[in-house]
Amino acid sequence: MPELSRRRFIQAAALSPLVAFLPRGTIAQALAAPAAQPFEFFNAHQAGVIREATARMIPGPLDDPLEAGHPGAREANVVRYIDVLLAAFSHDPPRIHASGPWSDRSGGDEDYMENFVPLTPFQEATWRKRIAGLQVMYRNGIAALDAAAGGDYAGASAGKKDSTLNDAGDFRDVLFVHAIEGFLSVPEYGGNQDLVGWKEISWKGDSQPRGYTAAEIGESDGLDPVVPDVLVASVMANLDIAALAIAARRRGGR
Amino acid sequence: MAAKAIVIGSGPGGSTSAMVLAEAGFDVVILEKGRNYFRDLTSPTPKTVFSNDELKSNVRAFEDPDTDAEPRTYRADASETNPFVGNVNHIPATVGGGAVHWDAKTPRLWDIDFKKLSMLGPVDGADVRDWPFSYADIAPYYDEIERLIGVQGDIHQLPDVTLQHAPRTHQLPMPPGPPQYSSLIAAQGARLLGLQPAPTPMAINSERYDGRPACNNCGFCSHYGCPTHARIGALAPLRRALLAGATLKPNTFVYKIEHNGSRATGVSYVDSTGKRHTESADVVVLAANAIESIRLALMSGVPDPNHQIGRYLFFHWFTAGFAVFLRERMHAYRGRSTTHHVDDFANPDFPGAKEFAAANGLPYIRGGVLELGGTQDPIAEALIYQGTIMPVISSNRPFGRPFKQLMRASLLRDRFFGLEMIGEDLAQATNMVDLDTSVKDARGFPVARITYSPHKHEITAQTFYIPLITALLKAAGADASAAVPEMSSDRFPIAAGNVPGGAHIMGGMRMGADPKTSVTDAHGRLHALSNVMVSDASVFVTSGAHNPTLTLMATALRNARALAGSTSRPRVLGRKVTQDEELPATGVSASTRAGAGLVATAAGLAATLKRKARTSD
Repeated sequence: MPELSRRRFIQAAALSPLVAFLPRGTIAQALAAPAAQPFEFFNAHQAGVIREATARMIPGPLDDPLEAGHPGAREANVVRYIDVLLAAFSHDPPRIHASGPWSDRSGGDEDYMENFVPLTPFQEATWRKRIAGLQVMYRNGIAALDAAAGGDYAGASAGKKDSTLNDAGDFRDVLFVHAIEGFLSVPEYGGNQDLVGWKEISWKGDSQPRGYTAAEIGESDGLDPVVPDVLVASVMANLDIAALAIAARRRGGR
Repeated sequence: MAAKAIVIGSGPGGSTSAMVLAEAGFDVVILEKGRNYFRDLTSPTPKTVFSNDELKSNVRAFEDPDTDAEPRTYRADASETNPFVGNVNHIPATVGGGAVHWDAKTPRLWDIDFKKLSMLGPVDGADVRDWPFSYADIAPYYDEIERLIGVQGDIHQLPDVTLQHAPRTHQLPMPPGPPQYSSLIAAQGARLLGLQPAPTPMAINSERYDGRPACNNCGFCSHYGCPTHARIGALAPLRRALLAGATLKPNTFVYKIEHNGSRATGVSYVDSTGKRHTESADVVVLAANAIESIRLALMSGVPDPNHQIGRYLFFHWFTAGFAVFLRERMHAYRGRSTTHHVDDFANPDFPGAKEFAAANGLPYIRGGVLELGGTQDPIAEALIYQGTIMPVISSNRPFGRPFKQLMRASLLRDRFFGLEMIGEDLAQATNMVDLDTSVKDARGFPVARITYSPHKHEITAQTFYIPLITALLKAAGADASAAVPEMSSDRFPIAAGNVPGGAHIMGGMRMGADPKTSVTDAHGRLHALSNVMVSDASVFVTSGAHNPTLTLMATALRNARALAGSTSRPRVLGRKVTQDEELPATGVSASTRAGAGLVATAAGLAATLKRKARTSD
C-alpha cells in the first residue's frame, strides 16, 4: 500500500538524519508563502521575526542542514497560524473553534472544519480579553527580540537568534507552545500547511468519518525498532519526571 | 394542569430525571448553563460540530467551561490562605454535560460500596456510611440504564471477583468492540502477574443500536465530543425527555433556588442575553454536577442547620503508569481510549492488601479499577518535550532539532501507553465545597472553593499498588516504565500537581436518613426542601472504586421514579414514549435492536454515517 510505504520511508528518514530528501516544491512554497497572502495582525516585519524565531524552535531544512527532508515551522507556515489566532476576531464567526463533524481528509465529502463555530456572548467576552492580552505580548515580544538582536532579529545570525530567543523569558515559552500548535493542529487554523507537521510524526490526524478498522486497532503494525541514541536514552532516563508532567496534564482532563 | 418540574443541568443526571418526569406527565423545563452544540435533539443522531481536533478540544476548551470565565479555587486545607485559582476538576458544561466528552467506561459499583460500613466497618478519621439502598436494590436500574445508553461488553468475560461483588442477571446489550493493541499488550502483562484482565463495559456502540451507528474507533474519544453518536451518553434520556414534551433552554445560568419554608417555589436565572428571570415550579431537580449543585445550594441559602451541605466531597484518587516500547509502535491513538481493564486492585481482599493495611494502621485498603492502554495526542506529547524534557537535556537551547527528533521517535505517544487506576476516596468532613469569599465568575457570582486532602487510606493504597502497576508494565515488555500519583496534596508531596483532578466529582450532598449526617434523604431529596431532588453524583455516600457515571444515572433513575410515583396526578401526553416501546429487552438479537418507530427522522443521516464508515474501511 502506498500509504504504508510512505510511512515506512518517513520512519526510515527519521532514523537516518543524513538521508537528504526534500519534498518537491517545499522550499519554493516556503519562500513564496509570505507574499501570497497578506497577514491580518502582523506587519511584514513582525511576521518575519515570528517566522524566523519559530523556525529556530522547530527547524526545517533551511534552518538546520541535518533536518534535510524534514519540514519545520517555516514549511508548516506556523506564522500564519499565529496570525490567524491573533486576528481571530477579524472574522465572523471568530476563528477560535473549527467546526465539525469532519474534514474531507479521511473520507468526508466536505470539509466542515473550514467553517468556525460562533461563540456565545459569554465565550466571546473571555476570548476577546485573552486575545487582546496575546496581541500585547506579541507586539512587545517582537520588539524585545529585535532590540536584543541589535535591531533586526530576522537578520541576525543563527547563533544570535538562538541566544536571543533563549533569553526571551515567558515570550519564548508562549511562542514555542504556539509553534507546536501551529505545527500539529488541523490545517484549518492556518498552520500545518500541506500536513507537513503530521507527516513528520507519521500521524494521520483527524480520522473521521473513516475511522480505523479492527485490524488497524488491534494488530501490531510490525516491528519498528527505534535506534537507542542519546535522545532516546535521555527520555527513558527522565521518564519519571515526564510521567509526572503527563499525569499533571491529564488531571485537568489532558 | 400538570405539575411543573424545573431541571437544572442537562447532563446524565438531569437528563435521566427529565426523562422520567416528562414521561410521567410532568411539565418539564431543563435549564442548561452551557451552550447547545447539537441540532435536532429528538433525532437519535443529532447534527454536531464535534470533531477530531486536538487544538479545539484540549487546548481551547470547546467542551469544557472556560476556566478564565468560570474558575474555581482550591486549597489543601482550611489553613491555606492563598488558594489556587483556575481549573479544579471542571467537567463539560454544555447540553449533555459531562457525558459529552466522557470516556464512557461503565463498570458498576460493588455490593461493598453500597453497604460499606456494614460490610467493611469504620475507618478512623473517615466517615464511612452505608447508602440508603443495596446493590440488589439498584441492580435493575443499572440494567435499564445499560440498555438506554447502549453498553457493549460481555458478562461472561468479567472476572469472578467482579461478578461476585456486582452480580449480573442479564447479558449486556452489545458484544465488545474490537480490542485495542495497547490494551492487549497490557492485558498480557496483567495475566503474567496472575491478574484477570477483561474487556471493559462501555457505553459505546459496537454495532448499530437504537438508531445510532457502530463506533468506527476514530481514536478521539476521551475528552472529545463524539462526531457520530456511537457514544450517546446523556443525549439518550434527553431525547426521550424532549419527545415526551420537555423544553430545553441552553445558555441559562440558574443562580438561585427560590424557597419558602420547607418547599422550593422556583428558580431564578440569567438568560443568554444577561437578563434575569424567576420561574416558579412544583419540583426542582438539581443536577448541575457535584461541585456546581453545591455552589447553587449555597448561593440559594438552602437551610443547613447541621452544616452538612458541601461536606464529604470525593475525588477518585488516580494513579497512572506509563510505559515506553522501543521495538514497535503501540498506536494507542486508534480506538476507544482503552478497551480492557483489571478489577483485582478494587478488591480489599487482594493478596497482601489486608496485611499492608494492618501494617499501616488501617482495617483495609482498596485501590480501584485499572484501565489498560491509551496514550496522549501529538500536541500534548510535544508540550511534554517542550516543557519538561528539553529543559533537562538542553538547558541553554531547549528547542531546535532535538525537539523534532523526539517527536519523530515518539517515545511518549506512539511507542507508549498508559494505565490508570481509579482509586477509592474515603469520606472526610473536611473535604468540601463552599463559596469562595473573594473570587467571582464572569457573571459576578461567587465561585466554588474546594478544600481537599486525601485520607491516609488513599495514600496507603496508592503506595501498595504503585509497584504492582510498574510490575505489570514490565511484564508487558516495557523498555521503560514509571508509575506516579496523578493526584496530589501537601500530604503527598511527590505527586504530579498541586490540584486534584480526574473529573470524577462526587459527594457533598450525600443521601441518608439522618439530617445530622446527610443532606438528602433516601431518595435524593433535600432534607431542608422536600420538593428539591438532587440528581447528580453529589448524593453519593461512598466514592466506589469505579467510574461513577453509570451509578449516577441508575441512582437518578431510581430516585426520579420514586418522585414521579409519589407526586400527584401526572398528565400523560400523547407523545409519551415508554421504555418498552423504545428499547429492546436485554439480550435480544441485533435485528430488533434498531429501535424502531422513533428513529425515522434521523434515519437518513444515520444511514449516511454508517455507509461512509463501511465503504471507506
